[in-house]
Amino acid sequence: MTARASVFLAAAALLLSACGRDEVTSYRVPKEADPVMPGAAPAADASSAPLAPMAADAGGAPGMGAAAAGATMANTAVPTANGPSLVWSAPAAWRTKSGSAMRKGSYAVPGPGGAEADLSITAFPGDVGGDLANVNRWRGQVQLPPLGPAELEGAVARFQSNGLTVTVVDLTGAGAANRQSILGAIVPVSGSTWFFKLMGPTAVVAAAKPAFLEFLRSVKAP
Amino acid sequence: MGNLLRQFRDFFVSLRLTVTLLVLSIVLVFAATLDQVHLGVWGVQEKYFHALFVMVRVGDLPVPVFPGGYLIGGFLLANLLTAHLCRLKLTWRKLGIWLAHGGLILLLVGELLSGLVQQDYQMRLDTGETKNYAESDRFNELAVTDTTNPAFDDVVAIPEQRLAEGAPLQHPKLPFRVVTKLYYPNAALERREQAPNAGPSPATQGIGPMIAALPIPVTYKPDEHNEPAVFVELIGPDGSLGTWLVSPLLGMPQRFSYAGREWKLTMRATRRYQPFALTLLKFTHDVYPGTDIPKNFSSRVRITEVGAGGAAAAGGAGAGGREALIYMNNPLRTGGLTFYQASFDNDDRTTVLQVVRNPSWLLPYLACAAITVGLIVQFLFHLVGFARKRRAAPAAPAPAAAAATVTP
Repeated sequence: MTARASVFLAAAALLLSACGRDEVTSYRVPKEADPVMPGAAPAADASSAPLAPMAADAGGAPGMGAAAAGATMANTAVPTANGPSLVWSAPAAWRTKSGSAMRKGSYAVPGPGGAEADLSITAFPGDVGGDLANVNRWRGQVQLPPLGPAELEGAVARFQSNGLTVTVVDLTGAGAANRQSILGAIVPVSGSTWFFKLMGPTAVVAAAKPAFLEFLRSVKAP
Repeated sequence: MGNLLRQFRDFFVSLRLTVTLLVLSIVLVFAATLDQVHLGVWGVQEKYFHALFVMVRVGDLPVPVFPGGYLIGGFLLANLLTAHLCRLKLTWRKLGIWLAHGGLILLLVGELLSGLVQQDYQMRLDTGETKNYAESDRFNELAVTDTTNPAFDDVVAIPEQRLAEGAPLQHPKLPFRVVTKLYYPNAALERREQAPNAGPSPATQGIGPMIAALPIPVTYKPDEHNEPAVFVELIGPDGSLGTWLVSPLLGMPQRFSYAGREWKLTMRATRRYQPFALTLLKFTHDVYPGTDIPKNFSSRVRITEVGAGGAAAAGGAGAGGREALIYMNNPLRTGGLTFYQASFDNDDRTTVLQVVRNPSWLLPYLACAAITVGLIVQFLFHLVGFARKRRAAPAAPAPAAAAATVTP
């Protein structure tokens, strides 16, 4: 009987709790003005807003004033990984760039003929789709076709350094003129994934490869 | 059958069940209080109290590990009711106990109803601004708005939960289906060039292709918001119109034309429209002299009726209606809603009102009143009875005492 009573009460509570399901609604309202473009608002207003919205009136302003949008973007939550930050030592020749809210680190890597490659260091929670998805994403950025799961291991090199597993991929871009290449490294650290991506003209990236690998070996958890 | 009924009654009538349930509720409150650090107050309410069972995920499977608030409360209610029906006799001498227990039952029912039907919203008003809607602090909706008519907008509001479920949505007022392609309950948006590692965007229309939506862990902290990002595809009878990225972080609406009509898409805090509008006339923030310590927050508002089509909301900041002063512990109750002074912003130019709809708001007051009256009545019965005995006592003991001395 106890069981019956439990079933009865559980069913009653379930029925009651099913009453509040969200439904699609429709209604008519007077015209309302669109929100003011954040860039046009006084600075005090924008900073006191809980999360500054981004300009997105794609129809009305296709160019979406880059300055205005950029300014408000800086106020949005940054989805970088929490937890311990990695540390590294970069060669003196690499110029530290100011970077962005997304980047944990940012360098300009000089190469022959005054050309430069860009090294970005970012970190995100989780595995961000896994090695294959990330390698294929990078391959797409240098016009290479995606790899199948079976081809991944042949395309990457892995090594252990300072207790971290570093997965390195060297992608020489397709195309003749203005060839771009990527030297990338994926480093999982306590539930997050760190990405080190050196991207630039193929000649610069190829010349910087030894320094990049040396740099990767300096990466460690604090 | 009679035997079964007796077992049923004996189970629910027993004081042992009451004690067990009270112990379980103590454990539940204790565990929930500890877990509030991780889940925040809303998350804890959902997981521990507004649930039949406390569920813990083992792998992908939710496993019930402890009775939840609804189950314990439900059994307590059944326990109390059956005990009343079977044990207590309806006599004047028991009036106090009946009232006190009736109040307790009302309190339990009130809490259940509050949990099921209470709705909380917020209304942010700048000085001089008029609004006839409040916005949810926790839930979002996708507003698909037909803006063709210059006089009004026709809105179809799709709750975020429905988008998360992923089933294609067809509404009679929309000439297209809304299909969720990708849903992130919490995401940050970055311009694509700022997010070199972001994958390709599923969006093909609006601002989406220029933006990277990056999923981040869901937050339960009371001072943080989840900002969902959804890629929705609109599919008409002739095929797809494209895929848009929508998120409350995109502040501005995204517009497009279809079937000879003008449309806009906005992901925003869920709105609840009401048949009257509030205009903030003045917000006052008093501090104790010479300090920054707040003494009083108050909002002077004007309430105006909204006509058919909501005309007052658009231009109703003028005369008419009635004025009310909302301040701490003095909410405005009108139209089934209660407006509390909750916060302020923008250098004291914006007020934040908490808007609560709770049809059962009176029940806890009635319950407490019934319990108080019941306890007073019960106490008075005992007091009067005791006084009567005492009055009768001086006459009686004398012969007894005399007898005691004489007998040996």
